Amino acid sequence: MTIIKADHLYKTFRIKEKEKGFKGSLKAIFKPKYKTIKAVNNISFEVEKGEIIAFIGPNGAGKSTTIKMLTGILYPSKGEVSVLDINPIKNRKKLAYQIGTVFGQKEQLWTHLTPYDNFKFFGAIYDINEKVVEKKINEFRELFELDEFINVPVRNLSLGQRIRCEIVASLIHNPKVLFLDEPTIGLDPVVKENIRTLIKRLNKEYKTTIFLTSHDVGDIEKLCKRVIIINSGKVVLDDTMENLKYHYLNKKIVEVKMKEMVNLDNEKGITILKDKGYNLKIEVDTKKRSVADAIKLLNPDNILDINISNTPLEEIISDIYKKEAKK
Amino acid sequence: MLMEVKNQIKISLLSIKYAIMREMLNKISFITNIVFMIINNSTFIIQWVVLFSIKNDIGGYSLNEVLLLWGLASSSFGVSRFFFKKAFDLSTTINNGKLDSYLVQPKNVLLSVITTDVEPSALGDMLYGYIVLLIYGITFKLFLLFTLFSICSGLIITAITIIFNSLSFWFGKSDLLAEKMDGFMTSFATYPGGIFKGVTKWILLTIIPVGIANYMPVDVMRNFNLSYLLIILGFTIFIVTTAFIVFYKGLKRYSSSNLMIAKI
Amino acid sequence: MRKYLYIFKSEIMTNIQYIGNVLFGFIGFFVMMFIFLNLWQAIYDDPNELIAGYNMNQTIWYVAITEVLWSIISGRKYTKKIVEDVKTGNITYNLNKPYSYIGYSIFNHLAGCFIRFLVYFILGLLLVFIFLGSFPSLDIVQILLVLLTIFLATLINTLLLTFIGLFSFIVEDSNPFYWVYSKLILVLGVMFPIEFFPPIVQTFINYSPIYVVSYGPARLFVNFNYSDFISIIIAQLIYLIISFLLCLLIYKKGVKKLNVNGG
Repeated sequence: MTIIKADHLYKTFRIKEKEKGFKGSLKAIFKPKYKTIKAVNNISFEVEKGEIIAFIGPNGAGKSTTIKMLTGILYPSKGEVSVLDINPIKNRKKLAYQIGTVFGQKEQLWTHLTPYDNFKFFGAIYDINEKVVEKKINEFRELFELDEFINVPVRNLSLGQRIRCEIVASLIHNPKVLFLDEPTIGLDPVVKENIRTLIKRLNKEYKTTIFLTSHDVGDIEKLCKRVIIINSGKVVLDDTMENLKYHYLNKKIVEVKMKEMVNLDNEKGITILKDKGYNLKIEVDTKKRSVADAIKLLNPDNILDINISNTPLEEIISDIYKKEAKK
Repeated sequence: MLMEVKNQIKISLLSIKYAIMREMLNKISFITNIVFMIINNSTFIIQWVVLFSIKNDIGGYSLNEVLLLWGLASSSFGVSRFFFKKAFDLSTTINNGKLDSYLVQPKNVLLSVITTDVEPSALGDMLYGYIVLLIYGITFKLFLLFTLFSICSGLIITAITIIFNSLSFWFGKSDLLAEKMDGFMTSFATYPGGIFKGVTKWILLTIIPVGIANYMPVDVMRNFNLSYLLIILGFTIFIVTTAFIVFYKGLKRYSSSNLMIAKI
Repeated sequence: MRKYLYIFKSEIMTNIQYIGNVLFGFIGFFVMMFIFLNLWQAIYDDPNELIAGYNMNQTIWYVAITEVLWSIISGRKYTKKIVEDVKTGNITYNLNKPYSYIGYSIFNHLAGCFIRFLVYFILGLLLVFIFLGSFPSLDIVQILLVLLTIFLATLINTLLLTFIGLFSFIVEDSNPFYWVYSKLILVLGVMFPIEFFPPIVQTFINYSPIYVVSYGPARLFVNFNYSDFISIIIAQLIYLIISFLLCLLIYKKGVKKLNVNGG
């Protein structure tokens, strides 16, 4: 069953351009100059019930604009949207009862109140009977391990706990779809992992369809079965996670600081990106050689410091473009 | 429909309640703010005592009636700032793109936005109005009328600021204009309507409707006048409706326009 | 001194960018003057009638000048900033700078006053002239002397505000003192000439700062005579010296206290 449908979506913005100085300000008043930006440029996709889908792209790719069109905040310049067979433009309120939203770190919670009171407030926003709300809170309390802090004012919570509460608050009304706009932005790895677990559990327990945007590949690697990558307002790739992993996420960047120099020239599956004697930056092709194996080559006793990271999203995108061009 | 209105009112009241709780976290500053405002408002009496020692009829008002006028001005100012503080800041909310989180809720966006904060000192303004009413000579009927007019006038002030703040949807910045408009209302509200003649009088009944929000209610409280009462109620409904229409027209523009108002 | 003039100059340049806001703020002044005009027209049965020695035009001109003055010199934000600097201990960071904190603050504030002077004094006078169609009889020398008293009033007020701000060294938060000070001036020194008050209140006002920062210049403007001028100037000079010494004293004491406590 198709839950979200975006059909040839466009959204263009005009931005006032101002020249420098006082003269520029005057000019801007009487004869404003505009620059047109195609924030979303012909995007189409469909999301099935129960899917966790990741919508990823670099900053300014059009992720937020798309999510805002799906939730009825912005109207598309052209194209059709439908979420749960509701048109967000015509029936924003009706749709609101059916969906949950978390916009990054824009806080919707009252910081002086406890999560418990906040949840009850959201229950009231969605016209839910108080008893039902209480039952729901108890349910979440167990499922998402909120016991520790459910009665502590939000302002005294850690950032990770807060985001967890933000997400739970958006679930009080049993939404069929949850939109998460950069839920892990600015969080440390442990908290990120925590949030991912929560999302996964949510999807498993309630079969909630999850639409999530991120600019972090790691975010989605463990979470999603399907990925849509967008760049400059266009879909670059719409594929399964498995395929993406196989073709593009098969490389890890390893940066090491060593006691003694090691020669890795001509080793299979290893490309040297930077070699400054004791500081080395290499790319490991995990299809040919595991990261563990690569570290063995370097000799763990020899390593002073190590940093392993994914290929940056920008590089993956340019990789995709390159492969497209070859075809 | 009725259920929807009921739920809407419930959520707005809840929102105001939580906002009050937030301010009450620091009880001393909460109470100081209120008391301070009452003292602050009281200083005006000096000016009028001196003026009425020169002449005992200014613009058709006696000292006692100027007191009543001041009481109403203060009380209605209090109503608008206490319950709808964020209405006076709406332009900033619009320009900072802070409307989005309200747009995804199934409630009235405007009401949700303006009820998220309260101004403690405004409670002092409200109380001050009733203290003045006590001095003026309170009766049950007067108490009811005063309360009704405080609410009407408070709603008119709020509606006007919403209308001018909402112009931000079209022109980007309108906070200064809204602020000035609000300032006009407050400045005129504390001077006897009778001192203004001719064109000014008409301006005060239309563009800057202090005449309807403040002068007429005082007239009704002095000598009950049903047609004035109906005009006041009618105008309140009219301007509040206009505020909703303007805001929602603007909101639609915000959603559909290709003008990047906020940082999206 | 040169560095302070430089501070003054650069602050004016910054303020110039916001001249639009100052002009916009003038609209509020316009409305207040308009209300006062109507109010006094309602109170005076005949423009030539004398109330406490003032005819209608004189009263309105008096209010205009005190309103203009207050618009120029009031410094809510200025006092708040000093209180904040004292409270947070920011003031100590300035100790090792090659200029005095007081000097810096004062010239900073004066720059803002100067901009507002240009807008409010010129436009304000023009506005009231349009309202009334007449101007008090003053010759060039007299106008310059009135301007001198306005300048001194601004200076004294700035020093008093500085003192109030620095008073935070002694009390936790001296913001309420600003409120009392500004209320005193607004209620007793702006609305109408002090001659309208009962004699006891007048005596009090004559010794208070209201006399030097508000009443004095306005009185001279509507009814100039040299003997008044002399007594006002003398009072202003006394106030200037006292307020300056008060600022120095409280600053020295406060900084010492901060150094002992380590901020």
